[in-house]
Amino acid sequence: MRRPLARTTFRLAAVVALTVTALSLVGMGLQYRLVENRLRVAQTALLAADLDGLGALYDQRRIIALRQAIDYRAAAATGGEMLLLQDRNGTVLAGTRADWPAGLPVLGEGFTADSAQIFTDEGQRWLGVGRVLPGGFPLLAARSLAPMEQTLAALRRTILGLVLGMLAVGGVVGWIAARGIMGRITRINALADKVAAGALDARLTGPRAADEFGLLETHVHAMLDRIEALNRATHRLSDTIAHELRTPLNRMAQKLSRLQGQEDLVDDLRDEMRKATKVFDALLDISRAEADQGSGGGLVPLDLSLLCSEMAELYEALTEDKGLTLTQSIAPAQNILGDRTLIGQMLANLLENAVKYCAPGDSIYFTLTATDAGPCLTIRDTGPGLPDEIKSEIFERFTRAERDKSLPGHGLGLALVRAIATRHGARLSTPPVEKGFVLQIDWPKLAL
Amino acid sequence: MDPKSRILIVEDDDQTAADVAAIVEGLGCAPVIRSTLADGIAEAAGQYSVIVFDRMLPGGDSIDAIAKLRAQGSTALILVLSALGRAANRVEGLEKGADDYLAKPFEADELRARLRALLRRATMQVLDNDLMAFGDLEIRLKARTVHIARAHVSVSPREFDLITYMARNAGQVVTRMQLLEQVWKLHFDPGTNVVDVHVGRLRRKLEEVAGRPVIQTARGEGYVFAPLPAAGTKA
Repeated sequence: MRRPLARTTFRLAAVVALTVTALSLVGMGLQYRLVENRLRVAQTALLAADLDGLGALYDQRRIIALRQAIDYRAAAATGGEMLLLQDRNGTVLAGTRADWPAGLPVLGEGFTADSAQIFTDEGQRWLGVGRVLPGGFPLLAARSLAPMEQTLAALRRTILGLVLGMLAVGGVVGWIAARGIMGRITRINALADKVAAGALDARLTGPRAADEFGLLETHVHAMLDRIEALNRATHRLSDTIAHELRTPLNRMAQKLSRLQGQEDLVDDLRDEMRKATKVFDALLDISRAEADQGSGGGLVPLDLSLLCSEMAELYEALTEDKGLTLTQSIAPAQNILGDRTLIGQMLANLLENAVKYCAPGDSIYFTLTATDAGPCLTIRDTGPGLPDEIKSEIFERFTRAERDKSLPGHGLGLALVRAIATRHGARLSTPPVEKGFVLQIDWPKLAL
Repeated sequence: MDPKSRILIVEDDDQTAADVAAIVEGLGCAPVIRSTLADGIAEAAGQYSVIVFDRMLPGGDSIDAIAKLRAQGSTALILVLSALGRAANRVEGLEKGADDYLAKPFEADELRARLRALLRRATMQVLDNDLMAFGDLEIRLKARTVHIARAHVSVSPREFDLITYMARNAGQVVTRMQLLEQVWKLHFDPGTNVVDVHVGRLRRKLEEVAGRPVIQTARGEGYVFAPLPAAGTKA
């Protein structure tokens, strides 16, 4: 019962954390883009200013001034800029480096920063232009993008840290919030478990909050009160019916005993009365077992092997007298939670059926085996088996085959067997068999 | 039977009370009738051998009062005679301290047999004796053996329980239902008379060795353990 709840708590917490984080991630992403654009614009502006400066010098004294300025700048090189001036033969006149970088083609003339290009040189990215000055002098001016990229990388690290932090905090906050909600649901679930286990009078204690959960608890309590009242009424009703039916029957029985001289008729009448009470008891037993189904109340640890042996012993003499063979194979010390009287009735019903339908020479196999899931009981006979027309409904009340109308019975035996099995949480099945009838009962294992 | 034994009948149905009283008188006992739970409990303080209690009485369910009666010091044996006659009801009654439980509608013979068994229990002294002897028929309780005229009769464990229970009520009718309850500890009616088959086998075994009938059938009621050709048993 705990696992699905914990999973729900986890899911809620994860949803909260992921939603919060995803929203902030979108916000931070937009901001990142903005910063990146601004930095690139600033870098382009710096390059344009450089070129303007060089252009002004060129206007004054042409190549000589350029050469001097570049030499001067190269001497004070910060590594943040790249300048190169060559003559028409490719000889370096001045610059921060000795050769023209491969990634930057020479495009156009003049000192404009338009169509500046990004290129990579020695693992570093640069923003720059290559121009040809009149007379065939190639000029290169570029600015390193490294500072900008470092800033962006720092920004990315910050964003990543923030995201992780937000996930953690969101997770924790979500977990706490979900735990609070799930805790209150767990309380109601625990109550439902107790009720399912048979404690129909179980209720939640402690104060009730004035919210939806409090309302839910109130509703659940009202429902349980009603079920309990109905259940009590059902029990009382069956007792009352028993009293009102059996008291007059009893008066009749006593009056019958005063009749003299008609013994056969009196015996017949007594027999009819006995049958009527038997049908009536079986119906009450069935409905009581069905009403108590799933509730562990009234069940105690019971040696099923011992009870099976006792019932087999009880019927052994009878089967022998009828010319049947009763073969028992009963695994020892198979314990279950059970009601001895009910299970005794169930086994008696099954053995009675087997004896009733089998003909001399037939065999009955009464087997109790230990399996991992719990004790498995089978009663198999080599009798006529079930007619097809009632196969699907043999466990229903008053089901009897046309074929068996001449045999005594009222069609409640297997219905009671099923009700008793269900009462004990046991599973009934009728595995296919070549000849005869087999009924298998899988009992739940007794938890130690 | 002690002719002065008094039996208290707590029953709210007049006719049933009168019928039970007639049976009690037939047993040579004196019946006293009360019709409510409170009156019954008050009256139970007197000297009674057996109390026949209905269950659904004005004032409540008598099986809930059994513990109270015992606490009052009543030593009377209690037979619950009730319309709540399902196996589960009987087990509940016995678990709550009733000494016997009979469902309505009951047969006079059945009630008579049960009252006799209870009266016998009430007057029976606890014997340290290991031996139950009926003429030449001897039952040894510790060794769990049966001998007739020194010849061993081979009986199964269940047959031994059967003969012991019948021997304790020797000379009186024991019913099939009593045997099922007392010997097999089963409180429901299995349908066919499985008990008859077991008693039949035991009877044949005993008769073979004894050369005379030892267990007799009482028509429609049950069996009588009568091991001696003539009356007069010694325990």
